[in-house]
Amino acid sequence: MTAIEPAPSTSATPLARAHGARLVAARYLRALRTPRGLTAAIILGVLVLTSVGAPLLFPGGYDQQGRGALAMPTLLAPFGTDEVGRNIFVRAIYGTRTDLSLVLVAVPIAAVAGTFLGLLGVVSRALGSIAQRLLDLVMGFPSLILGICVVLVIGPGWTSLVISMTIYSLPAFGRLARATLMAQEMRDYVSAARMLGVSRPRIMVRHILPHTIDTMIAQMVVAAVSAIFLESSLSIVGLGVQPPEPSLGVLLNSGARYMQDQPFYVLGPALLLFLLVLGFSLLADAITAKEKRA
Amino acid sequence: MYLVRRLPSVAFLLVATSVVAFALPRLAPGDPAIAVAGPDASPETLELIREQMGLNKPLITQYLDWVGGVLTGDLGRSFTTGRPVAELIGTRVGSTIELALIAAVFMVGIGIGLGVWTATARRPAARVLLDGLNSALLSAPPFLTGLLLILLLGIAVPILPISGEVAFVDDPVIGIQYLLLPALALALPQAATIARLVTASMRTTEAEDFVDLAIAKGVSHGVVVRTHILRNSMGPALVTIGLRFGELLAGAIVIEAIFARHGLGSLAVASVQTRDYLVVQVLILAAVTVAVVMQILTDLGVALLDPRIRLGATS
Repeated sequence: MTAIEPAPSTSATPLARAHGARLVAARYLRALRTPRGLTAAIILGVLVLTSVGAPLLFPGGYDQQGRGALAMPTLLAPFGTDEVGRNIFVRAIYGTRTDLSLVLVAVPIAAVAGTFLGLLGVVSRALGSIAQRLLDLVMGFPSLILGICVVLVIGPGWTSLVISMTIYSLPAFGRLARATLMAQEMRDYVSAARMLGVSRPRIMVRHILPHTIDTMIAQMVVAAVSAIFLESSLSIVGLGVQPPEPSLGVLLNSGARYMQDQPFYVLGPALLLFLLVLGFSLLADAITAKEKRA
Repeated sequence: MYLVRRLPSVAFLLVATSVVAFALPRLAPGDPAIAVAGPDASPETLELIREQMGLNKPLITQYLDWVGGVLTGDLGRSFTTGRPVAELIGTRVGSTIELALIAAVFMVGIGIGLGVWTATARRPAARVLLDGLNSALLSAPPFLTGLLLILLLGIAVPILPISGEVAFVDDPVIGIQYLLLPALALALPQAATIARLVTASMRTTEAEDFVDLAIAKGVSHGVVVRTHILRNSMGPALVTIGLRFGELLAGAIVIEAIFARHGLGSLAVASVQTRDYLVVQVLILAAVTVAVVMQILTDLGVALLDPRIRLGATS
């Protein structure tokens, strides 16, 4: 019907896309070169590398028992040992590994699903408002209450943590996507695309969605922090990761019982948790600052 | 007027929450009766439990029965202890209310105080220091501040009791000592969020023309800060206080575990572990309800502060 057909993708498109991707990557690398970004990159880099390489660095695993129980820190065990003589530092590194694995699964799922729910209004108004109601409902649940709901249904463990983290992070992504949609929809370039006969979903994916990438990445980092908090909170009350498998929350839980005798049982894992969160927060700051400049 | 417009969405939220709380045990794999009674319960026990839970009736009837029970205060009997749920909750609720109230006072006081102080600090060193303190508090969740406070004020310099509790109404002097650390631990992270918002909002307001006008008019610095800047910056802070209150309740669960307090939080955790559904359902519903009501109250507060919202200029 339309006189002007949207130009079919020519061979130039993949090239342009690769170029665009390189530009985007370069922009994020610049964000890492600020003092904040650099600190974040170093902290997170060290933590991620050691926890990913944990099985190579500490082949004994997290359950290897030594001789002294509740010993004070030494060079080989910087956080001392726990109630059955296990090296708390090694356990904390494996615990960080657990936390990172949870975040790595939950946050991207939440980002995609949340964005999808937020943009559902494009497809149909009714579906969109149902999605909004759903997100409002999730927002009404405080983090730990949500975790309790999930644990009540499927029992404690890694899976229920991933599910609670994902559900908990959904509304933020949904609202973000919707806000961007609202802000961009009235722009001239969108009207232009519409007049050229580009379909609504395609405008969405090709023209509007790329605008959300920056804020989306910043939001993912923020969501990672709250996901880590949720893990630790649930594990501390005993509804998260189940011992003997370590997570930062599990270690804080058992360490809290021996605070009088071995304060580093709590301080060590707390330090790693703090560094992890600090790294993520600085990264989020660096990315948002980059947006403001651009 | 304003309240009336908000009512439908609030009603929806509460009804939806009650549906979720009602549905949870029924979503769990397996027969809820078996989950309650344990795997080796006799068929007669199972039948009795089904009868008690009303599992033989259609779902809608079950839901309406349950909601009716909650509204009339008839919460049924706990499966693990055999005591009425209302009684279980009644004996625990005081401890949590104490904690939440003191923590809320700390949260609002410290949050606004720290925020105003950071925004009005003139010396750059003080600004940086306060900003840093705020950022540090932001990256520490309640359990971390709790554990650190225990190590600092309970073990390194033992001046406050670190576990257990004495009801405030029984003995205010001792009771407050047991409350201080947990309440502070619970309040600090939320206070940091509020403080950051107050600071940001005050710095924005500071740049407005009417502030310049007030200064040009010769209004004293203190009055400008209090009546011109602070009042116009409180809106976002109030909204956050409302939103943070729910997190305060969630944090209370962890704080009660760390400080060995016997409140609703520890009841909730114990009930989840023993799958005592009737107790958990009511607690979930209560937590969300309190959080939502607090949000409404603070929204009303914002409306009182800002006539533009009260009179409905924006929806």
